[in-house]
Parts: sequence; C-alpha cells; structure tokens
Amino acid sequence: MDALVDKIRGGERRSLARAMSLVDQSGADAEALKDALRRETGDVPWWGFTGPPGVGKSTLIDALLGMLRERGRRVGVVAVDPTSPLSDGALLGDRVRMMQHAVDLDVFIRSLATHGREGGLSDATLHCARLLELAQYDPVLIESVGVGQNEVDIASVADICVVMLGPGYGDEIQLIKAGLLEVADIIVVNKCDTPEANRLLAEVREQGKRQNVESRKSKVESPKSKVESRKSKVESPKSKVQTSIARGGSHGLASEAPPTEIIGIEAKSGKGVDALLDKLLELDRTARGTEQRQRYRHRRILGEIKRGVMLACEQNLDRALTAPAAKELLAKLERGELSLDAIVAQLGATPARHN
Amino acid sequence: MDTSRPKRILIGKVGLDGHDRGAKFIVQALRNAGYEVIYTGIRRTPEQIVRAAVDEDVDAIGLSLLSGAHNELFPRVAELLQEEDAENIVLFAGGTIPDKDIPHIESLGFRKVFTPGVPLAEILSAIEGELAGRSDGGGAIV
Ligand SMILES: Nc1nc2c(ncn2[C@@H]2O[C@H](COP(=O)(O)OP(=O)(O)OP(=O)(O)O)[C@@H](O)[C@H]2O)c(=O)[nH]1
Ligand SMILES: [Mg+2]
Repeated sequence: MDALVDKIRGGERRSLARAMSLVDQSGADAEALKDALRRETGDVPWWGFTGPPGVGKSTLIDALLGMLRERGRRVGVVAVDPTSPLSDGALLGDRVRMMQHAVDLDVFIRSLATHGREGGLSDATLHCARLLELAQYDPVLIESVGVGQNEVDIASVADICVVMLGPGYGDEIQLIKAGLLEVADIIVVNKCDTPEANRLLAEVREQGKRQNVESRKSKVESPKSKVESRKSKVESPKSKVQTSIARGGSHGLASEAPPTEIIGIEAKSGKGVDALLDKLLELDRTARGTEQRQRYRHRRILGEIKRGVMLACEQNLDRALTAPAAKELLAKLERGELSLDAIVAQLGATPARHN
Repeated sequence: MDTSRPKRILIGKVGLDGHDRGAKFIVQALRNAGYEVIYTGIRRTPEQIVRAAVDEDVDAIGLSLLSGAHNELFPRVAELLQEEDAENIVLFAGGTIPDKDIPHIESLGFRKVFTPGVPLAEILSAIEGELAGRSDGGGAIV
C-alpha cells in the first residue's frame, strides 16, 4: 500500500486513476488505502459547489479551472452525478462542460455516481478528493448533486461551500428560508445575463441583509456563530439518516463568521467570475491555518466514523425488525403488553428527543 | 456495502459533425442497462477522449462518428491508448461507417463496429459480452 501511495504522490496518473476505482469499492485493499489516505492528507482546502440541476455548476468550475491554471495552480475536480434509482446506472455528464481542460495534465477531473447515497455525495467523494490532494492537486473542487438535502452534505465535507442559484427553478426563496444562507460561505446567482437572474439576485441580497441583521441581534444575546447555526441546521432532527459531523463540530471554526457573500455572475461568459475567485482565494487562505486544517481533518474522519456506525446500526435494526421477531413485537403492542417506547428501548436505541 | 461497482463506459463523438442524437440515445440506453456512462459531448479530439478515458478509469470507450473521418480518427485513438499503456480499455465504434472499412477498424483493436440499423438489444448484449470477463479495474494495482 505504501508503494501505491508513493506512486500517486509522485504523480503517476494511471495509479491515481485506478486508485480512485479502488476506493469506490470495499474490501481489504480498498480499506487499507482509505486509511492511508486519512493519515496522509488534510492540508488542502476543498471547495464545494452545489445548486439545482442545470444552474451552471460545471460551467462555473470550467471557468474557474482556466483562471486557476493562469495562476499556476494544479486543480483537481470531483464531479458527482446521481445514480439512477431504477438501474444502478448513471449518466455522468459534467465533463461535457469541462473538456477544454481535458488534455491539461495539471487538471484532473473525475466523475462519480452517488450510488444511491442520500446526501448527494457518494462515499467515494471523500476518498477521491483525498487522492487528488495526495497527488498534489490544490485546490480540490467538488461538484455535488443539487437537490433536497444535498447542500447540507456538501457543507459538511467541503471547507468552502458555494451554493449556486439561478433563474427558472422557482424554489430559491424557499431554499434560502430553509437555511441555505447559513450553510453557504458564498451564494452565487448565475445567469445574470438574464433579467430573471438579476431579480433573483436582488431578492437574495435583500434576504441576506435581513438575515445578517437578525444574526447580529441574536449575537447580542448569545454569541452564536454562523458555523454553529450551520451545525444545528445539519444536525437538526429533520435531516434524514445523519451521515456527517457538521461543519466545525462543537468548536466552531470561527467565532466571528463574516456575513455570507452574495455574488452575481455569468458563468458562461466568465463575467463576475474573477470577483468570485478573489473571494474564494481569500477564504482558501484563511482555511489554511494549521488549527483549521486539523479541525477539518478530524471533522471529516469523525463524520465517516459516524456514518459507518449508523449504517451498521441500521442493518442490525433492519434484521431485528424482520419476521418473526417483528411479528411478535407487533402482537405484544396490539395486546397492550408492550408500549412503543418499551419496544424501542428493548431494541437498544434511544430515539433522539426533540424538545 | 457493495463489493463491485457498475462498469464504466465513456461515450464521445469525434469528428466535426455536430449532431449527437444517436450518441445520446446510446448513453441513455447504457445508463438504463446499469452502466455508469461518462459522456464527453461532441467534436472531441482523440487526445481529449483518451485522456478522459484514462483519468476516469473506464472499462470501455464507445466512439461515435458520422463525418467520415474514421480512417484518421479511430487509428489515432487506438494509438494513443497504446501510448498510455491502456489497451485494456475495450474499444467500440458506431456511426455511418462503410462496410469495406470495418475490417480495418477491427484490426486496430475495435471489438465491435455498430452501423446504423443494428438493433439496440444487439448493441447492449455485444457490449455486455465483451465486458463480462473483466475484473474490476482497481484490483490489480496494489
Ligand atoms: N444564460 C446562461 N446560461 C448559462 C450560464 N452558465 C451556464 N449556463 C447554461 O446552463 C446549462 C447548464 O449548465 P451546467 O454547467 O451543465 O449546469 P450544472 O449545474 O452543472 O448541471 P448538472 O450538473 O446537470 O446539475 C448549460 O446549457 C449552460 O450553457 C450563464 O451564465 N448564462
Ligand atoms: Mg454539472
């Protein structure tokens, strides 16, 4: 395994590509490599991009790739698209928008399928991002599937979280109400070549102002940082099977989180993307402090532990709840011999209480 | 947890024609048949196709072409794969390719050449057959 790690670190592209396939599987070799990666990486900030399908995530990443290359950075990209719930197959189409960088050896793009994982990022996303880091790509960009809960998932994995909005999806304001402003480090309104996007940009700015006033007010009472509220969002009981430790954990990354930046762009023409990149690079620099790095490393690994334990528990529980055991429990409940709470206690789980 | 993953196929269009209804149809069909399909879009160069295929560690490449430049572009793809030491990636071709050119293309290492009118079921079973014996990509590197 050490030999493989050395090869990847030394820039052997084919080893990197095949290692990415390996970590998309389980088995002794795969697990050994994943553990080596956990030990060997954690210094490079990951930039996450999320937003509804078609909002322009890949187009934006393509524009950023060009600009980062001009600055001499070697860039890694992990692009995640959904697995079909019906066939296990997937259409991984993000590359269509990034082909101008396809032959640049200082860019490495890898497409992944979600494999049905709820949060919109496959487990392999983390491993592939770590592999890119090991191969000296810096920064690492992650494009996630943008529906439902996924914004939250990317926020718990990426160091810097960009949420993209655009015209024609209708639900943006609802997304914002649902807490997107707290999850995002930067909100990008794309397609500002259209009047609808400009209207949306104005609305989001308005919403952002209100939110900042509110959070300033609440800060007077209790010094709650953006990171902490982000955490409570991610860990709220509403979220499905919780797969990740929230950003910052109990020790927030910054006690004085700046207000979320709101930037309008045209990803296709590149207009406004330079201002966005400046902001990203600024966040990237602050994310490089040693203390921050250690915290992010640990948070990701704790997230993986948590997810592993939850999967195991879920499997055990599924087994316990199949017949004939389940039949007996149901019969007892119906005869009034056991309460639901008693059954829950008997199965060894203490349900999270919402107070 | 899954011990195996779906097979990965890159579908790309080389050549200058800008029409990809056929390629998209195949992309959709392969996805529905359980493959992870990496679609690269139209007007790609052999260099772009091969770089993407190697980085994505695909099991197969399906090249589509309508413009008639197959006698230049297909050999180039095969050659680049060799340079990359990636001949284990299975090659397929599809498009308007005259019957007389098919033996030459097959001699370059293309396992199957699908011309218009070949039923979808036949394409899918041919691809499945060619990929069946392959072990998962990552296993061999450790
Ligand atoms: N008008 C306009 N269209 C844009 C802009 N940026 C991207 N688009 C178009 O939006 C469409 C979707 O772009 P993508 O980059 O593929 O979007 P995406 O968010 O990556 O999509 P998924 O990965 O499928 O979720 C394409 O047709 C782009 O050309 C823009 O600034 N203005
Ligand atoms: Mg995309």
